[in-house]
Amino acid sequence: MPFRRSVLLALPVASAALLAGCASGPAAGSPTPSASAAAETVTVDNCGTEVAFEAAPERVVTIKSTSTEMLLALGVGDRIVGTAFQDGPLPDDLADDGAGLTSIADKLPSEEAVLGLEPDLVYAGWESAFAADAAGERDELASLGVASYVSPAACKEPGYQPEKLTWDDVFAEITEVGDIFRVPDAAAELVDEQEAEVAAIEPDDRGLTALWYSSGTETPYVGAGIGNPQLLLDTIGLDNIAGDVEDTWTSIGWESVVAADPDVIVLVDASWNSAQKKRDLLAADPALSGLTAVQNERYLVVPFAASEAGVRSADAAADLAAQLAELDLP
Amino acid sequence: MRFSAVTAPDRTVPVARGAFLLDSLRASHLTAVGAGTLLAALLVVSVAVAVTLGPADIRVGDVWRSIASHLGLGVSPLSALRDGIVWELRLPRVLTAAAVGAGLALSGAVMQALTRNALADPYLLGLSSGASLGAVAVVLLGLGVLLPVAAFAGAMAALLATLALARAAGALTPARTVLAGVAVSSLAGAVTSLVIFWTATGDSYREILGWLLGSLAGARWPAVAIAAGAVLVVGIPLVLVARLLDAFAFGDTSAAALGVPVEAVRWTLLGATALLTGALVSVSGSIGFVGLVLPHAIRLLTGPGHRRLLPLSALAGAVFLVWADTAARTLFDPRELPVGVVTAILGAPVFALLLVRRRSRS
Repeated sequence: MPFRRSVLLALPVASAALLAGCASGPAAGSPTPSASAAAETVTVDNCGTEVAFEAAPERVVTIKSTSTEMLLALGVGDRIVGTAFQDGPLPDDLADDGAGLTSIADKLPSEEAVLGLEPDLVYAGWESAFAADAAGERDELASLGVASYVSPAACKEPGYQPEKLTWDDVFAEITEVGDIFRVPDAAAELVDEQEAEVAAIEPDDRGLTALWYSSGTETPYVGAGIGNPQLLLDTIGLDNIAGDVEDTWTSIGWESVVAADPDVIVLVDASWNSAQKKRDLLAADPALSGLTAVQNERYLVVPFAASEAGVRSADAAADLAAQLAELDLP
Repeated sequence: MRFSAVTAPDRTVPVARGAFLLDSLRASHLTAVGAGTLLAALLVVSVAVAVTLGPADIRVGDVWRSIASHLGLGVSPLSALRDGIVWELRLPRVLTAAAVGAGLALSGAVMQALTRNALADPYLLGLSSGASLGAVAVVLLGLGVLLPVAAFAGAMAALLATLALARAAGALTPARTVLAGVAVSSLAGAVTSLVIFWTATGDSYREILGWLLGSLAGARWPAVAIAAGAVLVVGIPLVLVARLLDAFAFGDTSAAALGVPVEAVRWTLLGATALLTGALVSVSGSIGFVGLVLPHAIRLLTGPGHRRLLPLSALAGAVFLVWADTAARTLFDPRELPVGVVTAILGAPVFALLLVRRRSRS
């Protein structure tokens, strides 16, 4: 059995690490793994669930694009035995490595479909994947010897949800997953690379405002003040018009959008609600067509799979910054 | 005891009840006119105030002058964009709320009378489930039809299925019609759930969730035309034949004895009500509570006579939904709630209060 709930373990190393994790507080970032050496157990406090990895996971089911892409980027894509609920195509730099992956479900997989692959880890991008009517409750998976891990940025538990997502949070997941898979060097290299990429972004200094338009027609679902959209907008120097809302994403009325009249609109490109569909809607609506950004077609486009925190966040920020620089603004 | 006239007709006292009804009709005729005038004035004031409220900070006077300018009086003091907030977003939405609220309360009152069922609401015959299925087909399956058209078609298909089923089972009695509606609703609801479960990707389920809970956020001028048009074309004739509904309160036999061609009237009125509801659902989704509870609330105040109940319910429904929707779009500004959530949260306590007050008085 590659892993066990840490509460069942009396390993002094693990306990010490847990204590250290508690002392610094869960909100301070992801808890320190007890060890990164291959032989020792790595214990993490993941969204309030303690998970101990006695060895690197060998058979992983990934749910949502962020988890699949994380493992591919760390060079451990060969451990993936099945993917589910992928949000869109893989980015170019991971496409070759991920070409042979098997998708077990277009949406959330059932617990039986997951267990049928005999995984030792289910790695999900959303907490909601771990439910009885989806991949299974975390406790139940644990009792069957299957570890579970959620992207810490997606934790919803108070104290675990990042108060306001930072690049440190994004990079901490890379480091933590690197420890779990015993590839700390690859993780460190990836973090260095991404840190450099983010540092190279020149934030726009024209004091522009932006709307992060994710989905919705009657009531738009937009990036709010504490999640990945806000992080990316901050990084490229745009002021989020929904930035005062203390949530990752939120529904706001069109009137608020028209009243704020953003300089730029970020369109999330998803297969079910494409950037083009959003452009058409904005242009056709009698009130929205008057928006400055719509009249001047000041749009930035981000693929849905890159709009959630993960290994694509840095690339997404750089790409958005480049698009912004190319916009013809007064 | 007036309340029970709709719930369970007590066949032992129709004469006494009828006399009581006539008395109360005469006695309160004047107060009914007074209440109607009051509610109509309240509606006008509500609309005028509601358009001045919203997340965008626009001065009250400027809002009214902007509207006046579109009606050909003066020049709008606002920039094109802010003028759009008033004329393209707020006003059509407030007017749609008024029309939908009026139509739903009216439909609910008629449905309750026709089926002699206190739990009847405008969606009783599978209309909202059918409309939801149509909407889901557009939003999630990408059917290339305008959403209101698909929702209306879905509602009508469900209605026809319900009536056909009820008819196949025998004469078109209230109980049979209601049960047929339950069957059709369940089926349409299951297919809707299946489509949502099967196809909703990423955050696309939010769009359909808002619609299923009822929302006026998408109401622009075409929605006003559809909702107000339906209320005028179908609702006003319903109010004019309100007296027919009084006959139904005492059962089909009594109604027939009074010379009412029971089946024909029920078919016609059910069809008209369904047409009205279908048009409303197509622009607003299925907004709960208004059609079910407002007629009861008005009945508690005025008694069961439909000549008063129908117009007063319609006016009260309009005022109620204007304020419920104003709350939905302003309470948590800039966030927005589906208005269907607000109607019940606001409405249930008010209705509870009416029930309790009524009891303590009698």
